Amino acid sequence: MKLKTSIKSGLTAALTAGLMAFGGAAKAEYPEKPVEMTILFGGTANTIAQLLSELMTEELGQPVVPVSRTGGGGAVGYSHVVATAPDGYNVVWNSNSISTAHHTGRVPFDHSAFTPIARVSTEIPALAVNSETGWDSLDDLKAAVEATDGRFNVGISGKGSFTHLTSAALFDAMGVGDKVAYISYGQGNAPVELLAGRIDAAIQWPGQFVSYVESGDLNVIAVTGEERVDILPDVPTAQEQGVDVNISMWRGLAAPAGTPDDVVATLQAAAEAAVASDDFQNAAGNVGFAPAFLDAEAFGALIERDDAFYGDLLQQLGMAQ
Amino acid sequence: MDLFLDALALVLTPMAIASIGLGALVGLIFGSIPGLTFTVALALALPITFGMDPVPAIGLLLGTYIGGMTGGSVSAILLGIPGTPSAAATVLDGHQMTKQGEASIALGTAVIVSVFGGLFSLLVMIVSVDLVSRLAIGFGPAELFALVLFGMSTICGLCGDSLIKGLISGVLGLMIMTVGIDAIDGVPRMTFGSINLLQGVNLLVAMIGLFAVPFIIEAFSQKGERDIQAQRVAKVRAELPSLKMLFGKISLILRCSALGTGIGAIPGTGGAIASFLAYDHAKRFSKKPQSFGKGNMEGVIAPEAANNAVTGGTLIPLLSLGIPGDPATAIVLAGLMIHGIQPGPALFMNNAGEVYGMYVAVALAYLWVLALQLMGIRIFVHVLKIPREMLAVAVLVLCAIGAYSIRNSAFDIYAMGAIGLLAYVLVAVRVPITPIILGMVLGPTLENEFRTAMMLSGGSFDIFLNSPTVLVFFALAAGVIGLQVVAELKLRKKTKEKIEMTDA
Repeated sequence: MKLKTSIKSGLTAALTAGLMAFGGAAKAEYPEKPVEMTILFGGTANTIAQLLSELMTEELGQPVVPVSRTGGGGAVGYSHVVATAPDGYNVVWNSNSISTAHHTGRVPFDHSAFTPIARVSTEIPALAVNSETGWDSLDDLKAAVEATDGRFNVGISGKGSFTHLTSAALFDAMGVGDKVAYISYGQGNAPVELLAGRIDAAIQWPGQFVSYVESGDLNVIAVTGEERVDILPDVPTAQEQGVDVNISMWRGLAAPAGTPDDVVATLQAAAEAAVASDDFQNAAGNVGFAPAFLDAEAFGALIERDDAFYGDLLQQLGMAQ
Repeated sequence: MDLFLDALALVLTPMAIASIGLGALVGLIFGSIPGLTFTVALALALPITFGMDPVPAIGLLLGTYIGGMTGGSVSAILLGIPGTPSAAATVLDGHQMTKQGEASIALGTAVIVSVFGGLFSLLVMIVSVDLVSRLAIGFGPAELFALVLFGMSTICGLCGDSLIKGLISGVLGLMIMTVGIDAIDGVPRMTFGSINLLQGVNLLVAMIGLFAVPFIIEAFSQKGERDIQAQRVAKVRAELPSLKMLFGKISLILRCSALGTGIGAIPGTGGAIASFLAYDHAKRFSKKPQSFGKGNMEGVIAPEAANNAVTGGTLIPLLSLGIPGDPATAIVLAGLMIHGIQPGPALFMNNAGEVYGMYVAVALAYLWVLALQLMGIRIFVHVLKIPREMLAVAVLVLCAIGAYSIRNSAFDIYAMGAIGLLAYVLVAVRVPITPIILGMVLGPTLENEFRTAMMLSGGSFDIFLNSPTVLVFFALAAGVIGLQVVAELKLRKKTKEKIEMTDA
């Protein structure tokens, strides 16, 4: 795969050189050098980005190089990309984190500092409990929280993280938010903590729970999106259970504001083809995300809408700055 | 048994064997060159595996992981620069052996006990993955904090003759790792408004700086000592350790392998803590503890057996719980998931064939490593014939590339230089630098687990006092520190008496 690509890109380079020699005035087409894709997080974000960059490399004929710049809830990577030239050679594998990073005061700029290219995938948080509790629905959970004397411990990824926001929105919508304590686990340890009974419930990504559900150790009682997720088809959404929460995380590509339209169009087309490929579709089932291509315009509107929503939510939670 | 035979058939194809071997070779090269790390090798190997069948793909990743883990000891022994944090403990005695002209014996011993430790942990894993993972679940934030605190107490064994200097060094390591956004509340600490400092100091960058920069500076400041160099070159020979010697140490090898497997099985730990605990254990139970740090063979055997036993150990939480222990296993996890192998408790029901395939692949990877590295020793030792100044230039270039390549960031090259200068100053005033690495590796875990435990308990210290596991580790740590203090007081009294006698 790698070899094929380099032969291909070598050929393209030779052809381009030839054309330029003969044509003289022929203008060089984007891309004529490798494109760097900044990754903001580990876990599924990293896994999807690795695959996407490989598939986009085949489409563009130039290597798309994934570079990990994690830390600060995305602040490190966003700050790097926003400072690069708007020529399409630096793109960021972004997510809702652009809104959370801005509204919590970690970066001084907001989503308008970037030109959207395309949405690529969505992931929907899921709420799991230990199966020994016997809780099967949000109603059971609500009753259990109300019956607790002390605090009800819920595992999240970190303060101000997407799973924290989702948990807060969900438990507030259920009317029991004030009895819940949020416990941060950095590296996806939440399923284990549930298993050991140290926490009462956890909101994480479905992929982390699937295996535990199959073995009967954990019970996923709700997903927070508009529709059920493919890898957990029996789990109802929160809305189906009468709790009005609709939160899902998108991931996509963006470039610094001011990137020329034709360059954005080229990248958008490459992303669209990559998402449509069999490799990407298969990986989606395996890793636990949904391929969800949206073009630049629709993606921009979505970012705009979400930014207002998360700004309000953070304000309510007292985390906005 | 049928499953096992099926797995053999899957793995023993030319393609799979070759990709495991290729992985082992690449891992070995990246692990053994100072500056280049096997985490980078794994990141490079990952996209290649997307187009491969699951078994060769996973073989390539596991081979790279295992090759890198053993390769880290090569530069630790030859140059005194560990290739991975897990090899930092190996520097202490391994590099001393090189200075005494026994480089090839140290290298040979390291690879043989590594392979033994790795296969030992694989066996434990095959037999008891279910049991061990259930036990590991019992390790919550409070227990992990206690274990890591016990790990920190091994600073006592690394600080030479002054506990104070060891503590200074350990605390420096802890402080360096607090730079950046903290993992729990997302508060920037000691960043001085710099975007670059937000991401913190990378452990690997700091390690390259700590060990490589003093090496480079020393190489250029010791120009007058040509004689020593000539001597060193004359002594280079490719000699392997005798089996008799290794059999004599079998009890130590077994104990350290068991220790490494146990530590590796606990999510959130890793090779570095295992190798330091093993080193401390070997020194404490040795008949000649004073010879440690001066080229004692047991000081190579203990950490190398333990850090490779961690490879089998970390596969336990990785496969049975879906939790990667370190950045390297996180990449292996990504590879597994892309190929539709979802780690977790159901893995052994859904993908039993692939799991057995992985067992065979790990065993095969260790055989490749053994063969490649035993052959490689002949080549490796020639590195010592290169004049020290020239070697230092090569190391400087490789380290700059290595520091840059971890995060594609020029800032990391400066960070490496700054930390390296700090290390050189510390070495000059006789403060040991190994505790810094210990502080850096364990610091974030120590802090995060403590804070998580306090969140769980709602701010009450009872969470530590109610767990027998925690109390056992606290007692062990207190014991180690107590012994060190007593030993130091005795030593001070003796020197004082001596001084008084000379005065009189």
